[in-house]
Amino acid sequence: MSLLAFIARRVLLIIPTLWVIATLTFFLIHAAPGGPFQAERDIPAAAKEQLMRQYGLDQPLVRQYGRFLANAVRLDFGPSYKYPSRQVREIIFEALPVSAELGGWALLLAVLVGVPIGVIAAVKQNSRADYAAMGLALAGVSVPNFVLGPVLVLGLSLTLYLLPPALWQGPESRILPVLTLSTAYIAYIARLTRGGMLEVLRQDYIRTARAKGLGESVVVAKHALRLGILPVVSYIGPAAARIMMGSIVVESIFSVPGLGRYLVNAAFNRDYTLVLGEVLFYASFLMGLNLVIDIAYTRLDPRVELA
Amino acid sequence: MRDGRRSRLPVRLLCSAAVRHLAQVPRRNGFRHPRLRPLAAALLVALALGACAPGEDGVVRTSASGPRWFGATSLPPGDVFRFSLGAEPETYDPGLAVGQPDGRVARILFEGLTREDPQTLEPLPGQAYRWELSDQGRTYTFHLRPGIQWSDGRPVTAGDFRWSWLRVLRPETASRYASFLSPVVNAEAFNKGDVKDDRQVGLEAPDDSTFVVHLASPVPYFLYLCQFYTCLPVPRWTIEKYGNRWTLPGTIVTNGAFTLTYWRQNNRFEFAKNPRYWDAASVRLGRMVGYTLDDLNTTFNLYKAGVIDWCPSGYFPSAFIPYMRGYGDYSHGDFQGVYFYSISVTHPPMNNVWVRRALNHAVDRDAIANQLLKGSRRPWGNLVPTGYPGYLNPPGIRFDPGYARQCLAKAGYPGGQGFPKISILINTSEDHRRIAEAIQAMWKRELGIAVAIQNEEWGSYLQTLTSLHYDVARRSWLGDYLDPNTFLACYVTGDGNNRSGWSDSRYDAMIRDAAKELDPARRLAILQQAEALLLSEGPVVPIYHYSTNELIKPYVRGIYHTALDIHPLTRVWIDHDWQKRAAPVAVAPGGPGTETR
Repeated sequence: MSLLAFIARRVLLIIPTLWVIATLTFFLIHAAPGGPFQAERDIPAAAKEQLMRQYGLDQPLVRQYGRFLANAVRLDFGPSYKYPSRQVREIIFEALPVSAELGGWALLLAVLVGVPIGVIAAVKQNSRADYAAMGLALAGVSVPNFVLGPVLVLGLSLTLYLLPPALWQGPESRILPVLTLSTAYIAYIARLTRGGMLEVLRQDYIRTARAKGLGESVVVAKHALRLGILPVVSYIGPAAARIMMGSIVVESIFSVPGLGRYLVNAAFNRDYTLVLGEVLFYASFLMGLNLVIDIAYTRLDPRVELA
Repeated sequence: MRDGRRSRLPVRLLCSAAVRHLAQVPRRNGFRHPRLRPLAAALLVALALGACAPGEDGVVRTSASGPRWFGATSLPPGDVFRFSLGAEPETYDPGLAVGQPDGRVARILFEGLTREDPQTLEPLPGQAYRWELSDQGRTYTFHLRPGIQWSDGRPVTAGDFRWSWLRVLRPETASRYASFLSPVVNAEAFNKGDVKDDRQVGLEAPDDSTFVVHLASPVPYFLYLCQFYTCLPVPRWTIEKYGNRWTLPGTIVTNGAFTLTYWRQNNRFEFAKNPRYWDAASVRLGRMVGYTLDDLNTTFNLYKAGVIDWCPSGYFPSAFIPYMRGYGDYSHGDFQGVYFYSISVTHPPMNNVWVRRALNHAVDRDAIANQLLKGSRRPWGNLVPTGYPGYLNPPGIRFDPGYARQCLAKAGYPGGQGFPKISILINTSEDHRRIAEAIQAMWKRELGIAVAIQNEEWGSYLQTLTSLHYDVARRSWLGDYLDPNTFLACYVTGDGNNRSGWSDSRYDAMIRDAAKELDPARRLAILQQAEALLLSEGPVVPIYHYSTNELIKPYVRGIYHTALDIHPLTRVWIDHDWQKRAAPVAVAPGGPGTETR
């Protein structure tokens, strides 16, 4: 099957998936108790009716659903209920670069640190270096970022006064959130790399490479790594989507104006339009990245065919 | 009632801000990570105790005479003042603003007819330089200051005020605080759409500098109402041109001491001094930065690191209050808010007044405020807070287990026998849960009744509260203006903020009579009787009185404790020579009174 046909088929599959997600989200959020215009301080009935009319919430749910779908196709989710001066699209496109930057740095760091650690651990299997690396990886996976973040802030910002404790201003403000976010990924990628490499290093073609007299470093870097890293590649797709769509915990601890905070708060606030916009955006992003990863797979592993 | 009809009185209670004090989360965007907070709290407490020991790193400056300061005390660059705004404001369009962060921004950008005295909140001349009261207290005539301008150079006119107030009242604006203007002739009918012609509303602008307000009946606290952010003037021409996007930087036009130069959602607001402001000469700050921070631990960290100079009340974790008492940064005082349990009287056994009395007298408020909350709040047995000028609270509800048991026996449940299992509704928060557990234990111990705790997420909690499908529910109210009416009018039959199903024609009559009473002392005496009736019969179990707890860097001047936690920032300044001056007197740890710096 040609690459183009493959992409076309996958895109055609994405559309009904998105529709299912949109429908489920729409009815779930509308079924949640309360609504967007509810406050502890009573809202006068007239004002509430007016707001409901303005946003079309007085219409039957099915009609609201139809209108939502028709607009969603045009990527128009309307204004946020919570922040009426802003369109959902604007909010997403303002917050996305921030989350993507934070996630991008964290993922880059995770790959740059995690892969070498994993390779070393695999090559020196059962050595002290292996145990040390895997011990660290275990710790990295186990320490949640809501513990790691405050500990880093405590040490580096509030005791040593080296880095700002929060806010997204200037390059130095990136360091702590990126470190906090990447640790778990570094650890996981190191473990995946080690596992992949161990399997590959036992294979016949590696023995062949060694037999024809290639140096060990060439064998590892050129022959083994290419296949050994495959588990990492398949992990990076969803991981990238997740990490770039924002981490609610890290964004809260460091007060980063990213997407993660919006998504959670929008659900609490019953900000229907913002929730729907974010969910659909996230779903598309995730499926898009998975498609890219599948394509990358065929380039790395000649045994994999497009199906 | 549901959340149905509008209240007839110009009284609504601003409640959510109070919730934030307890929920430890700035209003609305309240993300709470259940596991994150206790851990982070433990870490930070360790820090507060350890890393800040005097003399370490030269960061905490101590001297024999002056107070200790918490964290960095290096001056901000230039005349900039940086603070936490709390959660992201929903909107800072004054006519539509709802929450505390919304109001804070609106008050920085706009100035009303009067402005608040930064210490007493009494009305001072603002855009109006004088006003007269005539027609037996029913007509206010405001004279606008000559030469006042909007930030784009247009003159501020009486017509602007009239248009802005009418805009709040127009039904299509859907302003949630339109009831603040209800005392104005025909305002309520116009707001409901019954009166279509805006000329019938009692607002007149006979010329550009005279604004006349006709009230249907005298309202002694009307000037306080006019000070509320809903009544701030807005620029008609930009609103007509840009619709609800007029507030964005670049298009917004203001008439206050500052203009908006930068805004990024979930990040910060930047304000610059408005050179066209009539009193620009006394504005000493060049710039202000308000960060929108919804995590309280983060806010606390930023304060310690010296990134923000002021952490307003409720914006740092209440668990840290006891540790902050020894620092000169800490300022506290009474705040017009009460934390209480509401009883839904719609069903048995809660419809029995003796059951309500039993529950009320079996609550040990002292144990909750002083032990559980470590004295960061004041035990309180009344609905109306202390400190309203001229108002004397009736005797509050005492902790009296013996009497409580008698009441329960009178209700037909001696020793709690046959009492159905009831539940306490709370919204998700560590503090609400701790208090609910303490009260659960008290009711079990003193009355022998079984109580469950029902925890709901904010939106569901509001829904349950409004629908009255609860037995006992946590609530809290903050006053909007300095009059007991801001609390008592809620319990009038069917008021949207009643939310208990309680109705008593005697009570309704008292509130009505008080509104008609022209003599201030007699009026407050009627309100006192009303509060006494509410406490004895009503659906309210008061628990504690709110306090403000804020952190202010030593070089910040002009921020004072106020009863409503409102802080006019116009006259704030940065004291670059603060260390040379005599150290301000520190508040004694745990002592009463407020810092005035």
